[in-house]
Amino acid sequence: MNDHDTLFAQLSTLSASLVLLFGIALLWRRSLGAYIKAFRWQSLVLSLAFVMIGYFGHDPELYIIAAALLALKVFIIPWYLTRLQMRVGTEREVQPYVNIATSLIVAGLLVMLAYAITRPLVMVSKLPTRGAIPLAVGLIFVGLFVIVSRRKALTQIVGFLVLENGIALLAALCTYGIPLIVELGVFLDVLMGFLVMQIIVYHISSTFESIDVEQLSQLKH
Amino acid sequence: MTGYLLEIGQALLALLLAPGLTGFIRWVKARLQGRRGAPPWQPYYDLRKLFGKDVVVSKNASWLFRFAPYMIFASTLAVTMIVPLVAAPLPFDAVGDLLAVVYLLLLGTFFLALAGLDPGTPFGGMGASREMTIAAIAEPTIALAIFGLAVGAGSTNLGRIVAQTLANPGGVINPGHLLGFSALFIVMLAETGRMPVDNPSTHLELTMIHEAMILEYSGRYLALIEWAAALKLLVFFSLLSNLFLPWGVATALTPGALGVAVIALALKLAALAVTVAVLETRLAKLRLFRVPELLAVSFVLALLSVTSSFLLR
Amino acid sequence: MTLLILMVTAYVAGAVGALLFGEGAAGRGVASFGAAVGSGAGLALGLTAIAPGESGQMLILAPMRLLPLTGMMLRLDGLSAFFLIIVGLIGLAVALYGFSYSTAYEGRYSLRMLGAMLNVLLLSLSMQVMADNALTFLIVWEAMSLSAYWLVLTENDKGETVRAAVWYIAMTHAGFAALVAMFLLLSGGDLTASFAGMRENAAALSPAMRNVIFLLALFGFSTKAGVVPLHVWLPMAHPVAPSHVSALMSGVVIKMGIYGLLRVALDLLGSGPVWWGGIVLGAGAVSAVLGVLYALMEHDLKRLLAYHSVENIGIILIGIGSGMIFQSYGLMALASLGFIGGLYHTVNHAAFKALLFLGAGSVLHATHTSNMEKMGGLIKRMPVTAFCFLIGSAAISALPPLNGFASEWIIFQSLLGGFNIPKPEVAVMMPIAVGMLALTSGLAAACFVKAFGITFLAIPRSGEAGKASEAPLSMRAAMVLLALACVALGLTPFIVVPALGQVIAGLGHLSDIPVRFTLGLSLDSPNGFGRMSPTLIGAGLLLLLALVPMVMLLLRVNWKVRVGESWGCGRLGQTPRMEYTATAFAEPLRRVFAELYRPTRELTIDFHPESKYFVQSIEYRSEITPWFEKYLYEPCLWLVRLLATVVRRLQSGSLNAYLVYVTIALVILLLTARI
Repeated sequence: MNDHDTLFAQLSTLSASLVLLFGIALLWRRSLGAYIKAFRWQSLVLSLAFVMIGYFGHDPELYIIAAALLALKVFIIPWYLTRLQMRVGTEREVQPYVNIATSLIVAGLLVMLAYAITRPLVMVSKLPTRGAIPLAVGLIFVGLFVIVSRRKALTQIVGFLVLENGIALLAALCTYGIPLIVELGVFLDVLMGFLVMQIIVYHISSTFESIDVEQLSQLKH
Repeated sequence: MTGYLLEIGQALLALLLAPGLTGFIRWVKARLQGRRGAPPWQPYYDLRKLFGKDVVVSKNASWLFRFAPYMIFASTLAVTMIVPLVAAPLPFDAVGDLLAVVYLLLLGTFFLALAGLDPGTPFGGMGASREMTIAAIAEPTIALAIFGLAVGAGSTNLGRIVAQTLANPGGVINPGHLLGFSALFIVMLAETGRMPVDNPSTHLELTMIHEAMILEYSGRYLALIEWAAALKLLVFFSLLSNLFLPWGVATALTPGALGVAVIALALKLAALAVTVAVLETRLAKLRLFRVPELLAVSFVLALLSVTSSFLLR
Repeated sequence: MTLLILMVTAYVAGAVGALLFGEGAAGRGVASFGAAVGSGAGLALGLTAIAPGESGQMLILAPMRLLPLTGMMLRLDGLSAFFLIIVGLIGLAVALYGFSYSTAYEGRYSLRMLGAMLNVLLLSLSMQVMADNALTFLIVWEAMSLSAYWLVLTENDKGETVRAAVWYIAMTHAGFAALVAMFLLLSGGDLTASFAGMRENAAALSPAMRNVIFLLALFGFSTKAGVVPLHVWLPMAHPVAPSHVSALMSGVVIKMGIYGLLRVALDLLGSGPVWWGGIVLGAGAVSAVLGVLYALMEHDLKRLLAYHSVENIGIILIGIGSGMIFQSYGLMALASLGFIGGLYHTVNHAAFKALLFLGAGSVLHATHTSNMEKMGGLIKRMPVTAFCFLIGSAAISALPPLNGFASEWIIFQSLLGGFNIPKPEVAVMMPIAVGMLALTSGLAAACFVKAFGITFLAIPRSGEAGKASEAPLSMRAAMVLLALACVALGLTPFIVVPALGQVIAGLGHLSDIPVRFTLGLSLDSPNGFGRMSPTLIGAGLLLLLALVPMVMLLLRVNWKVRVGESWGCGRLGQTPRMEYTATAFAEPLRRVFAELYRPTRELTIDFHPESKYFVQSIEYRSEITPWFEKYLYEPCLWLVRLLATVVRRLQSGSLNAYLVYVTIALVILLLTARI
């Protein structure tokens, strides 16, 4: 492996770990504001990671995606989430289904699991970025875990967005960016999904005067 | 022979630097908070004053209360002879490894907590209970951080770890290394009673931990305990700096190399001290029951550090 | 050979003498003397066997028939000798201690049985480790279980004791059944076949059969050792026995589970697939963490110690489990390290746990309670007991330079070697085990700060504690003996570790690779992975402890000491009610691990009838959910009761029906026997 690749490998693992760390930081926090902040930082590092991969992997298309990421996930979505939060009131994630210390340890174990299941892939891969692949998969798991273990609809949305960040990171690491058009399509999907969820949250909030998803079980009766 | 002189010299250096380090953090903190603050060498004056004062011992206390300060001081001082401050590997490298360092520090904590319980005041018990809780929960993180370092270097002995990292400088920006560093940093904050876990500048509030245990101490006993606490901080700082960023540590025992090592050590300690001071200015103290969550964060970091250095081999 | 005869004779004489001389001081004396001489002989036998002779080999007694025509066989090899040393050492201290301790039982309970059964228990423990065929093993095993049962039942007028004894005997028999099945499978039906024959037989068995044998052995021996979730009897039975018996049970009897597991899994079966070691390691890690977590919530000193036995058995199994895993991968040096760590911790735990139980016994003797909330200030009234208990507490918390540290260090080193395992799925267990072991030792330190601090420090919390007096000479001597053993075992790993290397070198496939550890003062783990010397650490600490006050004297610091009141926020006159209690001490950890404990709490406040501002009394009650009893054993018991009601229908009470049963049984028997 030459110096270029070594540096590439180290930087990609480093940035992937940072992205993952923000995902884990999310689990530690309680207030929605902190969730949004962590997500914003994560997306910022993610777009930097895209730039880095674009530079080392000689794929200029990634710059465009990075710019789109920056606009959408660092500015538009967080801004929108903050507005939504103001509208439905600032409810804290006081008592998640899984308490915080346990969530953190579960997250650690999930990342270990990610290492275990991606190992065959990492072993055969020749990509310089292969070291970061388990981290991206781990981030996907962490995102899923946030969705599963948190009560409030808004925190679940952030979990979904983190999950999406994980997928984007994985795509970038494995293929240096899937074709631009697909990537942009995914972005639009996310945006649409986000908007739909936002409308639903608004409805949950006005029906139950709370965004605790536990309230939804009342609909059964 | 020079080796043993080096050991004694290093222990003396640690004894000499430790109060200054605490004073320096206080001074930087005061400046950051817009106060003038006491000069960095204030702790030296404090120690001299305390050594000159009479000791008042509670009538409920037993011999253990009077023995504990010596035990705490001796165990911490013993650690400074194992941890490479200026040179590696030390002649005492084979006497103790990282695990021995951790358990020697735990020995000090054990006696400190017992001494807190001895006078029978509610504050002492409160401090002892909290201190042991935090020490116990911090333990897995330390062990895993050691695991990560040891797997990377192929040894748990500090001299070998330093030598190994010096030989492979590229490993330093390895995520395993960085994660291990941040895990140990959080543990350091908890173990040495800094913000956001414990407030070192408090003397009477219901949230105190370290200060609550030593509330009954005075005179030379208090001086010994305060000095030992400063030494412990120094030990953790030098572990963090010399195990993760070993540059400057002398590998040959020439006066030149040792001089460089002392300067490098001072610079690294100062950098860490400023970091801690900034953190203490920026952060509010956590509620006691949020501390385990903070330590869980550090545990996850350590686990990830081990995983990445372990499963990617 | 003479030592062996001396040992057996002394125990038998002690037992018979106790029965003959009866309740007075003579009976106590004879029983204790017999037990002491017997254990002394056992200790000497073990030591001479384990010490390398002129040929550098260990003394191994050839198989011998115990009594003609009974088919019972004995043999002494390294592993037997090692466990015989444990039995002898703890037996000696217990015999010494029991002499004075049993005075408290005079006139209240049967001293005759206490003395006799103690000797029988010690004899069966010594025979246990020397048994050379399944028949001997099982008979002695049963003798051990039954004599321990009698001893637990000493205070037989207490409901708690009877309940505990029933749990103990039921669990131990469930285990016994598994062991009988295991030995039948292993020996191919011939229980009198020697272990050497079984070893050959085992090699020829199919892998599936070997797995079944291993699982049966693991179950059987785990019930004796008190591995989670088979531990529930242990915290009930150990505390209710007389304290010196508790020391023997926690120090030695549960170790027979470890001995059996090693004998079967390592010696007879040789080695097995990776998952064997994985199960042992996992069970060990879970036992260690849960044991210490439940110990933290206990405020009865003896129950607390009993839970710590669960924890330490866990630590031992972590060592053995990692050894087994490495063995399966052919990493023999690391495997030996794991086994040595486990065995080292076995003898260490025997020493400090017996010491702690004897200390708790002295406290019980002086204050007539084992409730920690009623103690305090005993360090001034019982200085020797307090000092010995402090040594034991520091040793069990793995603090250097005592023995717990040396063995846990070795176990840590063996786990750290886990990165050599080629399979990541397996390798990943090692860092997790490291984390759990570290958590265990941290929590153990917290628990013993509580145990020692609340019991011995500060001011007495009850009248009895205020009037307590130091234990009699023989009890103090026993405790000092064990405290010295803790220090000596901690400071001499350079003797203990090579000896243990010899012990395991003859077992399994470890014989192929003799592991040599440096004989210097340092402990070296394989490939120089870690080096540490408890001896030098101890010397250094002592030196510094002497040096610091000397330097202070030289520098003429102020040496004046005044005695004053404790500072109580300006309030004068401190009462015991202001002290921190054991419950309060453990409260932060109870909150941290609330998910596990699921504490329930009740707070009743009685107000003064005149005004709501005056509180008359406050009652606070808090309990933790006993998971295993509630979710594992209750359903089992329910099932058993259900079956019993079904079976009860057979009991019609009519004689003719019973005769029909006999006939049917006979016919079936004849039919099956014919085939």
